[in-house]
Amino acid sequence: MARPRHVVGYDEPGRRAILLGNEAAARGAIEAGVQVVAGYPGTPSSEVIETLSLVAKDFDMHVEWSINETVAFNVASGAAIVGARSMATMKNAGTNWVMDMFATLVYTGVRGGFVIYSADDPEAFYSSTEQDTRHLAKAVGTLILEPMDQQENKDLVKVGFDYSEKFEMPVFVRTITRINHSSGDVEFGPIRKERNKVAFDRHWKLPWRWNVYGPFKYKGKAGPTAKHAWQLEQLEKIKEFVNEVPFNKLIPGETDLGIIASGIGYAYLSDALRKLGAVGKPWILKLATPYPLPEKLVSELLENVKKVFVIEEGDPFVEEQLYAFMKENHPEIPIYGKTKNQLLLRYGELGFAQVVNAVAKYLGVKAPEVPEERRKIKAEISKIVAPRSSALCPGCQHLGTYWGLRFALLKISAELRRQGVKGVWIVNGDIGCYEQGGYGIFAKPIKAEATTESKLWPFNNPYEILDTNYIMGGGIGLAQGEFQAGYRDGPIVAVAGDSTFFHATMTALANAVYNKAAFTFIVMDNAWTAMTGHQPSPTSGVTATLEPSKVFKIEDVARSLGVEHIWTVDPYDLKATEKAIYEAIKTSWEKKTVTLVVARRECALQVVRRLLRTGGLPEIYYVDEDKCVGCTLCVQLGCPAVGFDKEKKKAWIDPVLCVGCGMCAQTCPVNAIHPKTKEGR
Amino acid sequence: MARDEYYLMVAGIGGQGTVLLSRIIGDAALMKGYHVRIGETFGAAMRGGSVHSHIRIGREVLSPLLLEDEADALLAIEPLEGLRRAVVYLKPGGVAVLNTRKVYPIDVNFGVARYPKIEEIIDAFNKLGAVFVYGDFTDLAEKAGTARATNVAVLGAYARLIEGTDAPFDKETLIEAVKGRVPSKWIEANLKAFESGYKLADEQLKK
Repeated sequence: MARPRHVVGYDEPGRRAILLGNEAAARGAIEAGVQVVAGYPGTPSSEVIETLSLVAKDFDMHVEWSINETVAFNVASGAAIVGARSMATMKNAGTNWVMDMFATLVYTGVRGGFVIYSADDPEAFYSSTEQDTRHLAKAVGTLILEPMDQQENKDLVKVGFDYSEKFEMPVFVRTITRINHSSGDVEFGPIRKERNKVAFDRHWKLPWRWNVYGPFKYKGKAGPTAKHAWQLEQLEKIKEFVNEVPFNKLIPGETDLGIIASGIGYAYLSDALRKLGAVGKPWILKLATPYPLPEKLVSELLENVKKVFVIEEGDPFVEEQLYAFMKENHPEIPIYGKTKNQLLLRYGELGFAQVVNAVAKYLGVKAPEVPEERRKIKAEISKIVAPRSSALCPGCQHLGTYWGLRFALLKISAELRRQGVKGVWIVNGDIGCYEQGGYGIFAKPIKAEATTESKLWPFNNPYEILDTNYIMGGGIGLAQGEFQAGYRDGPIVAVAGDSTFFHATMTALANAVYNKAAFTFIVMDNAWTAMTGHQPSPTSGVTATLEPSKVFKIEDVARSLGVEHIWTVDPYDLKATEKAIYEAIKTSWEKKTVTLVVARRECALQVVRRLLRTGGLPEIYYVDEDKCVGCTLCVQLGCPAVGFDKEKKKAWIDPVLCVGCGMCAQTCPVNAIHPKTKEGR
Repeated sequence: MARDEYYLMVAGIGGQGTVLLSRIIGDAALMKGYHVRIGETFGAAMRGGSVHSHIRIGREVLSPLLLEDEADALLAIEPLEGLRRAVVYLKPGGVAVLNTRKVYPIDVNFGVARYPKIEEIIDAFNKLGAVFVYGDFTDLAEKAGTARATNVAVLGAYARLIEGTDAPFDKETLIEAVKGRVPSKWIEANLKAFESGYKLADEQLKK
């Protein structure tokens, strides 16, 4: 057998390797003998499936990028019902998508071990919210495991399968950006060689096991209510069990101060105590099961302390359970944390610095401080540190689509104003690279007012083009709602990428056509799920494991969903893009119908990478300074490679960043931008 | 005698090999029997964003972030990014390597921000109390065969800076770690870049 393509596949128990948290999770699944893994790309969860897809063949597992998290969750559930060990991966937002099945699956439980890997994003580094998904798993009532570091990210995924089979319940692993996207040395365990037998019995252990509506009778009830009673019994068994889980630990201290530290909270605490010279001082309950709480361990802690401080990432989730538990047990002991006796902020990432300071305060010891004089020096230096804003990439085709959209909107708006319409457009954004159209990286401070009339806000770059932005697939629904509410002050537009199109907009598109809405939908098809790291999507022609597959055409899907007016355009052709979008908006406005523009070109990063790999170099462009009139139109394209020299009043092109797309040359009214010859590079 | 705990920061932008460099350093620490935690910010999957790695090396470390003024060393693959992290994390007397090859942020290109002069950055490093060397490490890497080895050229300079200090690894370990991470066809160029970086630091320290 050839060596696996990733170290996580090496059958070398005892080996220590530096792994990304998500790679460690992949190793945990391999060690557990996982058979089916499904997910949708979402930072910070994506590397689990990316890693597993490299070794899927070595371990005879099915690994897939599903169209969305709901489908992924159902695929993994089906695998677990026939006895396979299965896993579904998702980011926090994706966990919202799986809730319907998650809440129902716990009524029947599972046969094969089922691990739900949910990656939260405190500080919202890559997400629309800081949502703490532990609430969701508690709401449905199942075991939550919360790792403290990369080693536990592996270990807890691994034991998650065992625990899941022990209680016949899905197990929820709640992990976070700071673990998923950090690396640490991880010690490998043995790889389970045997595979769960795949078999089906409709009455496995319980009558009508896999059908919530089956005539199952239990505790005087029937159907779903009977199953609910069964589930609650399982939860009681889990409540007892968590006192025995070896990843929960009660560590005695020298003082009467107690600390409960969940997940990464313990890692920060452990490092903070060394920093503060306070090792051994507090009593500590290290927690890996934030739900259910190990009540025996908590009680033992409370017997020994006068105060208790809860350190956890996200909401005061453990803390609030503690308030409920302590109403009957030691109500006299005050609780410190994120609510009443606040030592930690409820928003933002927990972070090491915050924990060091809070623990110092709680224990009454001195925290490390930066002297005032040095603070002043730093403040002075900070003034010259220029920002480096996140932007679309050089040569990104979305720049062309947004350029076309901007000028199409200006043109339509002017025409509408001549007809007595206000001409105030609404552009509804969505989730993907193109969401940067709403980052406003050059935006001036805004004075917001409570107005009653529609108002047009001018902008001159693609980073301020999006008016609304929320969630995957949200924009198209908003567009319909704005229209159905009677918004007629200007055109309504929604944008989405190709992966988002399949994830969440197909049903919304059918809904809009069926309910006779009118707006323009622009799908920016770059053939990959680009923002999360170029995972394959239904437009890529390959699966997660790079097997050739069908290439879905968005126009065909849309046509079958009832869309009658469709334009396809290459966003690198700025004039054609503007024209297509203009016609689509005009048609939608006049015919009161849904129109679609597909702006199609493969992601420039992928194209350039392929070119470089084969030893090629992209053509690059330069500005002829003699011709440049300093109008800044090319800069308004928003490409990071196009700059403007304020002193010379001339545009310039960064030869390191330019990938030769030629879009800036098309924006130039005086033809001052030209490609260099290969020799002139 | 090597320290029980040691902290580094690597600063650069997406595509410069910041993450690879931090893994090389992590491997070197692992070879010396330490635990390692590396906190990374990826700047999504896109190119050109600010990327930095917090590296905690120690006998017991569990968490991946550094405190203000805690970094014993800073490896800056891009000057502005080096300054951005030095001003927060580099401790007084900490060692640093500063690549002077600029990559302009879109904010500067768009004309809404100013890129500080290299002299200003060097002045700031002095004011922060850094023990540092600087130079065009991208140029060294290009001469060694590939600009992609810039990160390893910076590492070479760092290997010289830590000679005779209580850092938890040495030049030989760092070279072993480079060999373990770099694709075989690029090892020669990387080792050459490493030596050029080392030499540059050596010459600067002698002055």
